[in-house]
Amino acid sequence: MTSREKVRRALAHQPGPVPVDFGSTGLTGMHVSCVAALREHYGLPRHPVKVSEPFQMLGEIEDDLARLLGSDCTGANGRGTMFGFPAEDWHEWRAPWGQEVLVPGGFRPREEAGNIYLFPTGDPTVPPSGHMPAGGYFFDAIVRQQPIDEDKLDPADNCEEFTLLAPEDLAHWRREFARLQGETRAVVSGIGGTGFGDIALVPAAFLKHPRGIRDVTEWYVSLIERRDYVHAIFTKQCEVALQNLATFAAIAGDTVDVLFLCGTDFGTQTSQFCSPATFDELYAPYYRQVNDWVHRHTKWKTFKHSCGAVRPLIDRFIACGFDILNPVQCSATDMDPGRLKADFGDRLVFWGGGVDTQHTLPFGTPAAVRTQVTERLRAFSPHGGFVFNTIHNVQARTPVENIVAMVDAIRDFNGTPASSP
Amino acid sequence: MSLLTDLSIAVAAGKRPDTIRLTQELLAGGTSPQDVVEQGLVPGMAVVGEQFRRNEIFVPEMLVAARAMKEALKLLEPLLAQAGIKPKYTVVIGTVQGDLHDIGKNLVSMMWKGANFAVVDLGTNVSAERYLAAAREHNAHLVGLSALLTTTMPAMKETVRLLKAANLPNVKIMVGGAPITQAFADEIGADGYSADAGSAVSTALRLMGEAA
Repeated sequence: MTSREKVRRALAHQPGPVPVDFGSTGLTGMHVSCVAALREHYGLPRHPVKVSEPFQMLGEIEDDLARLLGSDCTGANGRGTMFGFPAEDWHEWRAPWGQEVLVPGGFRPREEAGNIYLFPTGDPTVPPSGHMPAGGYFFDAIVRQQPIDEDKLDPADNCEEFTLLAPEDLAHWRREFARLQGETRAVVSGIGGTGFGDIALVPAAFLKHPRGIRDVTEWYVSLIERRDYVHAIFTKQCEVALQNLATFAAIAGDTVDVLFLCGTDFGTQTSQFCSPATFDELYAPYYRQVNDWVHRHTKWKTFKHSCGAVRPLIDRFIACGFDILNPVQCSATDMDPGRLKADFGDRLVFWGGGVDTQHTLPFGTPAAVRTQVTERLRAFSPHGGFVFNTIHNVQARTPVENIVAMVDAIRDFNGTPASSP
Repeated sequence: MSLLTDLSIAVAAGKRPDTIRLTQELLAGGTSPQDVVEQGLVPGMAVVGEQFRRNEIFVPEMLVAARAMKEALKLLEPLLAQAGIKPKYTVVIGTVQGDLHDIGKNLVSMMWKGANFAVVDLGTNVSAERYLAAAREHNAHLVGLSALLTTTMPAMKETVRLLKAANLPNVKIMVGGAPITQAFADEIGADGYSADAGSAVSTALRLMGEAA
């Protein structure tokens, strides 16, 4: 059975070996320092690891490492990055924690007293949009909210980033899918612009001069006080997304197995970011349109990421047409693996939930990691509907022996022999 | 219903124009600014905290209520300062060094303000030394530490260590944030932990020795 077949069985809720994803998306990967530690651990050739996603400083999991980790998925990613410069023209950079990494050409940071600043599109003549504080391992968006004049707010200002795929994007996708012909792993892809109100994207670290509502608090307030404005943004965004999906589908075809649609977080550690009623009124109509289009025109399964305690919204995600939920944050309130599987397991694929990256994986012992991973595999794997992934990206400073314990536990559960480098 | 009750209802519902109007009417009618805060705004924000804790309202509703409260405080604070009236408790709050996340910290800050604490918000990426200096400068009763990242939990531990080592009389330390648990709070020696902004007020009051 190929990796792709394993994933397709799981997506079809058929029993079989548990497929695994490490690194197919920007929310199922590993910090670049962890990738380098794993390469070292497995004795793979030493070279600077590519920072495939510079905002969270995720490392590229190359095919040699992916094979050892048992990953059954690969990503077909767009050409842009969170900072608006393309992921190309790589050069070496020494990260503050002493690691030599490869970063895209537009990654030209300014360093001040240990703080590192990145610029939208790599243009240092405009204010920076990303900040990694001294001692940090990740970037955060710098909010560049202009004064808000309620009378002059124009939803078009919040739609600057929602544009039709450009000729260079189309050329990129054609190259990407030519590269993936004959791929035996499941292909996970996404075109951007299909996630409604993703708070990570609101500050628009990729825009030089973001206009409209770009402050995080202002955005949340807008969900109540400027709801028509938000609807107008989502309406325009949806219109563009549907056009782009059609263009993309004509290039990608059946090479894609899974489409990453939306990373909007609806859960906090203990609750939700909005009421079910707000979800129904504000988000569901757009999610339905996008999911309906995908399901009418392709065989792709759609992927919804939302951290946190989202149990009260899961039925709604399913009703909107989402096939897959990630990262399945079992440590959040009412997110018990057994109950999730019992209540939603026949209608939703759990892509994640494999191990807790807030507690067990970074701070537990290898034995504790093994125990939790095995418990989660037992809880989620019956009757398919499960792709193993950590709960969100593996965070910096996670001990490599814990990551290895996780990989070994999955392999033992599946009864597959260890690969050698 | 009294105007004070109306004010509580308006602030809890996040109705900014009503909150401002009722505050103005109460002051014009001779209610003391202290009573407007303690009998109007504080009960309103207590309802917000309770509704949030019970998942009846969510982050946006809490933010809108806090905005209404802020508008009222803009009218009240100069009058309170003029009369030399200060809140009973002073709290220092911030996100620990290396961490730039502030949504949770800001929500707790708003709720503490809504409980009529004097809040000194140090922002994000706050060093242990800055927390200590601010606690001393403002004679804080409580210091609140927030962290979102697993990689900044060691900075929280170090801050608690420094604050404890300084032996400030009567200063309690409270921690919170997505990866923080009661077990971690206990392990690093924090006096209190709150899982959400709604219960942050009752935990703080308990630490102050008040029946929450």
